[in-house]
Amino acid sequence: MPIQVLPADIAAKIAAGEVIERPASVVKELIENAIDAGARTIRLEVEAGGKRLVKITDDGRGIAANEVPLAFARHATSKLSTIEDLFQVKTLGFRGEALASIAAVSRLTFITRPEQQVAGTLIRLEGGAQQTLAPTGAPVGTGVTVENLFFNVPARLKFLKADATETGHIHRVVSHYAMAFPEIGFSLRSNGRQIFQTDGSGKLYDVLVTLWNLDTAKQLVPVSGRTESGLTVDGFAGNPGLHRGRRDQIIFFVNRRWIQDRALGQAVAQAYHTFLPVGRNPVAVLNIQLDPAEVDVNVHPTKAEVKFKDPRAVFAAVQRPVRQAVLQESPLVRPAQPWATGPSPQAARFGLDMQRPLPTETAFERQETPAADDQRMPPMRVVGQIQQMYVIAEGPDGLYLVDQHAAHERILYEQMMARQAQAAVAGQRLLSPALLELSPAQAALLEAEQDTLRAVGFEIEPFGGRSYRLLALPRILGHTDPVAAFLGVLEEMLEGAVPLARQTHEKIAVIVCKRAAVKGGQTLSQEEMKELIYSLEKCRNPRTCPHGRPTMLHMSAYQLAREFGRH
Amino acid sequence: MKISCLQENLAKGLSIIGRAVANRSTLPVLSNVLLATDNDRLMLTANNLEIGINCWVNAKIEEEGAVTVPARLLTEFVNSLPPERIDLALDEPTQTINLRCAHFEANLKGIDAQEFPRVPSLDAGGEIINLEPAALKQLIHQVTFAAAVEESRPVLTGIRAEFQHDRLAMSGTDGFRLSTKNIPLAHSIDEPFEVIIPARALAELSRIIADQEEPVQIAVTPAQNQILFHLNNIDFVSQLIEGRFPDVSQIIPKGHNTHTVLDTASFLKAARVSYLFARDAANIVKVDVTPGEDELVGGRLLLTATSQELGDNISELEANVQGDGVEIAFNAKYLIDVLNVLDSAQVALETSAPASPGIIKGVGDDTFLHVIMPMHLSR
Repeated sequence: MPIQVLPADIAAKIAAGEVIERPASVVKELIENAIDAGARTIRLEVEAGGKRLVKITDDGRGIAANEVPLAFARHATSKLSTIEDLFQVKTLGFRGEALASIAAVSRLTFITRPEQQVAGTLIRLEGGAQQTLAPTGAPVGTGVTVENLFFNVPARLKFLKADATETGHIHRVVSHYAMAFPEIGFSLRSNGRQIFQTDGSGKLYDVLVTLWNLDTAKQLVPVSGRTESGLTVDGFAGNPGLHRGRRDQIIFFVNRRWIQDRALGQAVAQAYHTFLPVGRNPVAVLNIQLDPAEVDVNVHPTKAEVKFKDPRAVFAAVQRPVRQAVLQESPLVRPAQPWATGPSPQAARFGLDMQRPLPTETAFERQETPAADDQRMPPMRVVGQIQQMYVIAEGPDGLYLVDQHAAHERILYEQMMARQAQAAVAGQRLLSPALLELSPAQAALLEAEQDTLRAVGFEIEPFGGRSYRLLALPRILGHTDPVAAFLGVLEEMLEGAVPLARQTHEKIAVIVCKRAAVKGGQTLSQEEMKELIYSLEKCRNPRTCPHGRPTMLHMSAYQLAREFGRH
Repeated sequence: MKISCLQENLAKGLSIIGRAVANRSTLPVLSNVLLATDNDRLMLTANNLEIGINCWVNAKIEEEGAVTVPARLLTEFVNSLPPERIDLALDEPTQTINLRCAHFEANLKGIDAQEFPRVPSLDAGGEIINLEPAALKQLIHQVTFAAAVEESRPVLTGIRAEFQHDRLAMSGTDGFRLSTKNIPLAHSIDEPFEVIIPARALAELSRIIADQEEPVQIAVTPAQNQILFHLNNIDFVSQLIEGRFPDVSQIIPKGHNTHTVLDTASFLKAARVSYLFARDAANIVKVDVTPGEDELVGGRLLLTATSQELGDNISELEANVQGDGVEIAFNAKYLIDVLNVLDSAQVALETSAPASPGIIKGVGDDTFLHVIMPMHLSR
């Protein structure tokens, strides 16, 4: 086939395909236009997952009648005029591709009226070709109706998913904008049914209550941080009791633009290190505000990814305030008040009875949070043990139930980390070295992590091929079968069961401590229980085990009195 | 069943078998004690399926029979009776026993004796071996402490007993230390054999041997699954542990570079002091051996324990050192355990290298040997 210049309509369809992948892309582009037009409310209606209909109505500035046809020309934009502007982008859109692209692959009706004009303009395009252009009566703002998306690109149409899936994508897109722009009221209807509606109050918290629910929102903690270079991070992060199986509820906005960034997701997940159960992910909504010159948003056609000039600084700037907020918030109660001064504001907190003052500041307004990396416990008195699993103790403010296994894990973990810091983890040699026959994966891991394993007290030497001899093991594992203990640690490392540990040595420490800790089903003597509670009191983060499960439940004196009807 | 016996005898018998009463068993009859007439004596039996004890008590039998009653209630009731004659009668249809003593009277509801698992007697076993009770007690004392407590490796919760031609050797190990000791048999046996006995059972046996003077008779059941110790008026039966015990002869080091002799009591005391600090630091105590310079300046052994939080402690002991100096770390708890059971006035510590096992022996006693593995710090 000879080389030839593509006909304009094919070129347009190819270009459109880059921007418009699915109905949700249409929604995204149109919402961005509406926001850039200064809309206060944006109403969306979709039908059949947006395949049949996407209709968006805003009350923004609108477009003057004479500019309307130009709006559908490729690379036509009001948002950018020189190349320098590209590096100072403050609006969401700027490529000037959106309307043209959508128009190229759908039947589009566009009605707009700026405030200064008495009449609006209606333009109708089909596959990018103008059908109608006429004045019409219309309210101030713009209404775009996109019907039969991809009617002329059957290849693309074929790849669209089920209606429910596409609706889900649309829901996600609209939710993100609602979070990023709490001052704009968003409403989404699908097949005539109201999905959600935000009130445009300007408070992110209100949006989250709407999008999730009050129970979830109650478990959110405000996050706020600022670096010397002027970068700010604001938003909400879930307390450690709130977690999800997937990571898609760690949501980021950079200068109010929703982005995806694995590294930042990692930064947030790590902030919850040892607080969340294995395999669970935190919930967070964070807006990163920084000088537009510090970030390149022009790396991806849908702008879902950005490039930071200094990614490491952003990573740290995100992690620090989140960690602070998380540390402040223990899973259940946090005796922040001096214990002797009578009932504390926290006294009423138990389970869902937590009475957190709703944030009254505007959404991303920041507030100073004191640095807290320490949440020691008050002294407690052991009362007894139940189910050979939980220790009952009394503190200055009511009743505590302590999970003996989780608590012991936490104690061992902190002790081991302290000893590792002093390079003083004790290994105990075995009378007769145990012979290990490892799988290739285990052997590779062992070779890679030999030093780290040694640092916690394991001593292993090669014995030819994939055979190894286990010479010593951590002293705290002394009561277990050495081979089973070592293989167990290797297996857990292979499974990557501790996703939140920052470094391998922490990961190994968590695994070793889990194996060494007293198990449920063991009867503890009074002395053992006292020792356990005493050691737990000495821990820096006594309220969760290294896997993030809570070590204790608290029922306050107030709660007890209330339950017994004394109040 | 109708019998009479003295309160002291019954109380003593109940206290002996009490060790074998099951505390929390799914089989209710196991928390009972079996009372059965046996010729002209009363036989008391408890059995928790791990160990079982028969104990015979002198009694006047008027009518034969057997019944089981709750062990704890019977024991506590009998203990609170005055030291007089107890009349005991069983009402067969209701399985209730009536006890009268002085002006006390009680009715205890029992369970049919048929349901109780009997404990085999000596005549069921094979060859009978005789042992001096004091020597057996000492043997148990010097090896059982080294056995593992946790159930993760069942074999190590047992003590290997090797019946050689004219000696009985026992070894216990938890994988980090090993204690072995042997004693002579009263008469040699034809067929040497070995079994693994639960350390817990031996500890109970040791308590029961107490002040017995006649030889203890030992037999293993033909099925090789139980071992039976016959004492005065007492049969003690323990289940045996199946499995392969670690090869002790391979574990014991063949040579050493440093031979250090010191006073047992002073060493024990110093180890206990070190433990006060070591228990906060993974039990690590550092042992520093320095040979003497000449005839006048003797060798010494330094024990150092350091806790990052609490502080440190150094104890210096005079020692007779042959060979090179050495620096080695041990678990303080292990040192205390072995020094506690030594009955020699002087102890010998034999070492080769910081990562090689240490040997502890009583000076002048070649029947006892303890191997203890060193610890190390990750540096």
